[in-house]
Amino acid sequence: MKSIRTAAALTAVGALALGALTACATEPAVDPNAPVTLKVAIDAGLEQGAIDAFDARVDQFEDKYPNISVERQEYNWTGTTFAAELAGGTIPDVFTVPFTDGRGLIERGQLADISGIVADLPYAEEFNPNVALAGEDAEGNMWAVPIAAYGQGLHYNRALFEAAGLDPDSPPTTWDEVREAAKAIADETDAAGYAQMTSSNTGGWILTTLDYALGGRLEEVDGEEATSTIDTPEVAEALGLLHDMRWDDNSMGSNFLYDWGTINQDFAAGRIGMYVSGGGNYGSLVTQNAMNPDDYGVTVLPLADGGDAGVLGGGTLAAVSAKADAATQAAAVKWIDFYYIEKLTDKAAAQADAKALFDADAPVGAPTLPVFDKALYDENLTWVDEYINVPVEQMTPYTDNIFSQPLIPEPTKSTQEIYALLDPVVQAVLTDKNADIEKLLAEAQASAQAIIDRG
Amino acid sequence: MTDTLVKPDLSVLATPPPAPPRRRRIFRWFRGIHTLVFLLPLLVSFIVFSWIPIGRAVVMSFQKTNLITTQFVGIENFERVLSDPLLGTAVVNTLWFALLALLFGYPLPLITAVLMSEVKRAKGLFSALAYLPVVVPPVVAVLLWKFFYDASPTGVFNEILGYVGLGPFPWLQDAASAMPALVVEATWASAGGTIIIYLAALTSVAPELYDAAEVDGASIWKKIWHVTLPQLRGVLLITFILQIIGTAQVFLEPYLFTGGGPANSTITVLLLIYQYAFQNSLGGDYGSATALSIMLAVVLGLLTAVYFRLTKGWSS
Amino acid sequence: MARSRRPVEQEDRGIISLADWRRPSIRRSTNLVHGVLLVVLFVVGLGPMLWLAKAAITPTQDTIRTPMALWPNGIDLDNLAEAWNRVEISTYFGNTLILAVGVWVVQILVSTTAGYALSVLRPKWGRIITGLVLATLFVPSIVLLVPLYLTVLDPPLLGTSLINTFWAVWLPAGANAFNVMLVKRFFDNLPFEIFEAARVDGAGPYRLFWSIVLPMSKPILGVVSVFAIIASWKDFLWPLLVLPNPALQPLSVRLPSIQRFIELDVFLAALAISTVIPVVLFLVFQRMFLNSAGLGGAVKG
Repeated sequence: MKSIRTAAALTAVGALALGALTACATEPAVDPNAPVTLKVAIDAGLEQGAIDAFDARVDQFEDKYPNISVERQEYNWTGTTFAAELAGGTIPDVFTVPFTDGRGLIERGQLADISGIVADLPYAEEFNPNVALAGEDAEGNMWAVPIAAYGQGLHYNRALFEAAGLDPDSPPTTWDEVREAAKAIADETDAAGYAQMTSSNTGGWILTTLDYALGGRLEEVDGEEATSTIDTPEVAEALGLLHDMRWDDNSMGSNFLYDWGTINQDFAAGRIGMYVSGGGNYGSLVTQNAMNPDDYGVTVLPLADGGDAGVLGGGTLAAVSAKADAATQAAAVKWIDFYYIEKLTDKAAAQADAKALFDADAPVGAPTLPVFDKALYDENLTWVDEYINVPVEQMTPYTDNIFSQPLIPEPTKSTQEIYALLDPVVQAVLTDKNADIEKLLAEAQASAQAIIDRG
Repeated sequence: MTDTLVKPDLSVLATPPPAPPRRRRIFRWFRGIHTLVFLLPLLVSFIVFSWIPIGRAVVMSFQKTNLITTQFVGIENFERVLSDPLLGTAVVNTLWFALLALLFGYPLPLITAVLMSEVKRAKGLFSALAYLPVVVPPVVAVLLWKFFYDASPTGVFNEILGYVGLGPFPWLQDAASAMPALVVEATWASAGGTIIIYLAALTSVAPELYDAAEVDGASIWKKIWHVTLPQLRGVLLITFILQIIGTAQVFLEPYLFTGGGPANSTITVLLLIYQYAFQNSLGGDYGSATALSIMLAVVLGLLTAVYFRLTKGWSS
Repeated sequence: MARSRRPVEQEDRGIISLADWRRPSIRRSTNLVHGVLLVVLFVVGLGPMLWLAKAAITPTQDTIRTPMALWPNGIDLDNLAEAWNRVEISTYFGNTLILAVGVWVVQILVSTTAGYALSVLRPKWGRIITGLVLATLFVPSIVLLVPLYLTVLDPPLLGTSLINTFWAVWLPAGANAFNVMLVKRFFDNLPFEIFEAARVDGAGPYRLFWSIVLPMSKPILGVVSVFAIIASWKDFLWPLLVLPNPALQPLSVRLPSIQRFIELDVFLAALAISTVIPVVLFLVFQRMFLNSAGLGGAVKG
């Protein structure tokens, strides 16, 4: 009877094998009701009121999805240690990253591929395409969800404008006017007329902003190939403008090693007349740096005539850690939808969020860009109208014009590294009167190309 | 410039310990188990946190890793580092810092200590004032001085110098003056420690040597030159090499003051290593970082060996 | 360099002889030099601290516009309260203390047990261990930075990362060759007869350590403690890497980051608070600090 037993055994094995194969062929179905623990990010250093508001939202979420239990974890995006934190498993399952880093993280496999789950969300197709680009992989699948967007703008100090005899309600609309205004402020007050960030990769960031505004680009991407276009007339023009303001007009003050935080600080303290930065800086300036709201003004960047000039866009993505398993990913997307997106699309959620911010004395209504479309954005503003506590009349030069400016995403290849190597270029122009701009640009382009080629 | 990872003052070991009397191992009849128990903290600490990491650093310098996958790449990291234009800049800057620190910060504590050694009253006050900057946490000192170095006419230093008619200086905002500015602060922060060391050494100079010199009719300057300095030779040699080694590893000042700027004029070798490993938000180049740190260690080791060889006969 | 043991009648003198001191010209010029030196030390050593104390209670605009003026528009004591509460300097201060105490415990533990074992118990392979420990003194700490970071990220046997825990700072602090050599040398100089006598009396190795050696080593323990606490207070790069969670960071790491979040006057107040404790500790324990610092040049047998 050996042969029958053997045959039976073989059949059994065969059946098992077949069954296993079939099981592998289809995705293991994620049981939507299996209990999941989700670790979500909360900003570090929040006041107790804000933490309570967050916990209230967590409770609402857990009521809605009883099988998901949420743990909050303080998290701040620190570029320097992210990779190690990911490897060490100390990142929450859901966290936020700036647009700049989205692509890079996706390419390196450090984010979970949630594009399938995201595609099932009702609004998946309705994201503003320029904004969605930042969270997509090369094939256009959305691995990270944009939750906030902004465009660069020119911030200016209304009080300094008045002291210099300029009209705070008519800010400059061309770069020549910016230069003149800077000179007036520097002459009439002891503040710097115009200042520029130059450290911690912000030098490259703002130089790119100026480049875009003058009609240039930093890279040309053709499929897999990318060419660095740093050594171009537009970048040279931007550097030339800075050089002239610094050395001919002496309108840029005496401090040049600014980064994002320190330039905000000096601007809020009334030492700078104008500077270029992200459009939504009002919050940081007023709540963190104690700027007098009456002094704040913002306008759009002057764009050069001609086809290609545009505004550099940025924003924030919500992403899921690559270490999250399938069940956690599904829960994570639910959280992203609930916590980050709902306030953009749903009236009640928007009002609740605005009220919480308003009660915590945080700014409501600072200018941002639509993550979806402008109509929804405008509607959102009407929903939260009663909570808006920012001086919107002072921001009209920006809000009236930003939507008609073309929004350009940041360069996609090796962005941070190229920004980093442009920092010294801008610093050199501002600190060395005899800096050879052509030579600097040629060398920068060669280095940038080497970085791009290295991948 | 001390932190838990930087080796502090080695001049303790300058004076060789007296040969300990021959000792029997008094617990020989216990098995070595007790010794092992006592050695356990040391062994665990050093094996896990010192010896193995050192070995690992050597291995990593031949690898490329993004913490998820690792591959062996031979000397590619070393090639990459050696062909990096920033390396040349960093080395030159580091040497420049070391040279400035030597010219400015090496004689100053010595002169001050010699002057202080003759103080009869309120000696403690002098010592306390000199040592005070050393006690201030380095981060606080740098942030404070960063504010002092504000380049606008109302910056603290510019304002003070303005009282005597000296124009506003760019301090950290100009490539030529940034490094000297760093050296001044670094000297301020560390001179006190060296002064105290010299003071202690000065008190141990045998008085009869001075007596003998006076018999020969030596003036004060002659006494200092012919008695004091030679007697201090051992300590001076040690502090010299320690200063070189310390300044070769300067990190905090460039990092907090200027981040390596303006235009890479203050980027040092340590700052470059840090940038390789930790600056890129998408994952650092750990292989290059360890490669460069190994190269630095080798250079410093050779330097120390050559130095001790050369100065073998010089200290008393 | 040995202090020669001369008869007591030898004068206690420095470069300037007693005879010289009696000459008025020498006395006057020396006093003048010392007077100038005192003023210089005051301005250079104490000046920045005094300015910081002043600026800590000055509003931002005054500090920016007229940094050397003394409160033209009045004092702003709120800065201090705000720094302590809103900016939570108290938290970071507490973290600094916790780190310092932990490092102190670890370093004392490792250096005393190791010094005792190597110096008193003297195992056969003691020379090798001492040599290996000594060798690490010549390796710049930067070499260890990345691999130590990876070790802390994925420690052997533990299975969980130590990042964002205080252990990541405490444990590596034990591998401090300098302290071990310092303590070992001290033990080498202790009279061996006492140990032999205790052994003959029946003391075991643990009792010998606890009841005889440790009490005799108070001076060196003091020195090691001072070094450990100062080094921990000053530590910057390592806590920066292993404690990314702001709530756990010590002052040295947190102060540069918060500069961009708070107004200048509150920031200066925070700096001032961070300086007060080390300075006060120094003033109180001056002798211990200065003796430890002078260890290198002092000549003790």
